[in-house]
Amino acid sequence: MNVTTGSRWGGTAGLVLVGLWALHGVGVQELGGLDARGAAALRGVLRPDLDPQVLREVGTAAVETLQIAVAGLLLAVLAAAPLALLLAGSSRAPRLVRSGARLLAALLRGVPELVYALVFVAVVGLGPLAGTLAVAVHGAGLLAKLWAEQLESVDHRPVEAARLSGAGRAPVLLLAVLPLARPNLLSLLLYQLECNVRTATVLGVVGAGGLGQAIDLSLRLFDYGKLGTLILTVLALVLGVDALSRRVRAAVGADTRTVAP
Amino acid sequence: MTELRVRGLVVQHRDSVAVDGVDVSLASGEQLVVLGSSGAGKTTLLHALLGAGPRVQGDVSVGDLDPYDPTHRRNVRRNTGIILQGGDLVPRMRARTAAVSGCSHLFGRSGWWALARGHTPPPLRDRLTELASRQGVTHLLDRRVSELSGGERQRIALVRALLGRPGLLLADEPTAGLDPARAAAAVEALLSHARGAASTTLVVTTHDPAVAARFDRVLALREGRVVHDGPALSAGQVDELYARPVP
Repeated sequence: MNVTTGSRWGGTAGLVLVGLWALHGVGVQELGGLDARGAAALRGVLRPDLDPQVLREVGTAAVETLQIAVAGLLLAVLAAAPLALLLAGSSRAPRLVRSGARLLAALLRGVPELVYALVFVAVVGLGPLAGTLAVAVHGAGLLAKLWAEQLESVDHRPVEAARLSGAGRAPVLLLAVLPLARPNLLSLLLYQLECNVRTATVLGVVGAGGLGQAIDLSLRLFDYGKLGTLILTVLALVLGVDALSRRVRAAVGADTRTVAP
Repeated sequence: MTELRVRGLVVQHRDSVAVDGVDVSLASGEQLVVLGSSGAGKTTLLHALLGAGPRVQGDVSVGDLDPYDPTHRRNVRRNTGIILQGGDLVPRMRARTAAVSGCSHLFGRSGWWALARGHTPPPLRDRLTELASRQGVTHLLDRRVSELSGGERQRIALVRALLGRPGLLLADEPTAGLDPARAAAAVEALLSHARGAASTTLVVTTHDPAVAARFDRVLALREGRVVHDGPALSAGQVDELYARPVP
């Protein structure tokens, strides 16, 4: 065995040991001996409750989650659009204004949605409005940054042609920058919608409405059959929105799918 | 009709001088081709005529206006039709919108609404119909730019450049990427417009001696400097123009 092979084996063994240490640390060995409650929970989740009443309640929660995601997206867009225009270098906004917009966008996206949700639950009370506001505020900062990057990275030649034809800032934006960036702006919008659906599910756990709140409630009431139905619904919702956005993205010719940082 | 004057123009991009002391004058309605290899300063000179690019020294005047004067620049540009190198149309845009996109100052409020509905802005309707018919692109106006061939895009770009009845027409490498027949047609379209009733001042840049041969006046640039200003170059002069500098 030469030195290189030896060090490779040593490195692999080290990685395996670190992995085992982490698995032991999180208590994975306890999976082998589930207690009665654990077994009941697993059984319930694997046998979803399809009672019409339960399905109605889960359907209502799913609709609420979608509403949180869509309303949050709408509010985020209203804030993100002007911010993105100010952030983009092509807007030629004064440096102070751009710095202010950059700082605001960073502040908005810098705080996780869950923290915003806790704050908004305290401010507006339990329910979907708190979730919507949390999704909107974080999404506004994120979309502003990603949209601004797209506006800056368009093919410069049509933009230059518009400028050299004597067009002002607004016509250059409307006739060159936005048409060039549109597919990717739309792609990012759809990606944000997917994120909102996933996030809206999680936020419910802290009382911000939707499927998450129903999941939290069914866990507290040991209603594991309903929990199984809810988990399946979350999966169907996320996959459905994902498939829809993929189709729309392909239809508009978006050539990128930027992953949020 | 617009006359041009460039005196002692020096344009510098970072560390390199792109245009180095160029002098050239054009009478109204005159046609000029600027010939040179890549990096000779052709595009920079064209941009300087519209007040774009970092000028170090020298004077440029277009008609009675100075394109480097911020108060004149917009008027100079609105009186100029320009075709940029390598396709400057938005690919997913309809050809109709692309064709009118250089004349947003003529839209008026009703024009923007018409455009949003996919129609031609009313103030430009007759002119677009006339130009599209002349260039044989009427049937292409409702197609997307991305669906058009290189030659068709070039004709739409020409319609866009001519839509505002410019006194000055600038075309930067208008034959780049076209086959010889389409390249000849594109140059012919520019020349026939310039020499026609409108009598437009025309400046075309090219690195193709065959294109340059169609013009009565050739301005040859090498490393940013004028090495020839006059009738067509001889074969020997062309060889000399494109010869690599001795290291």
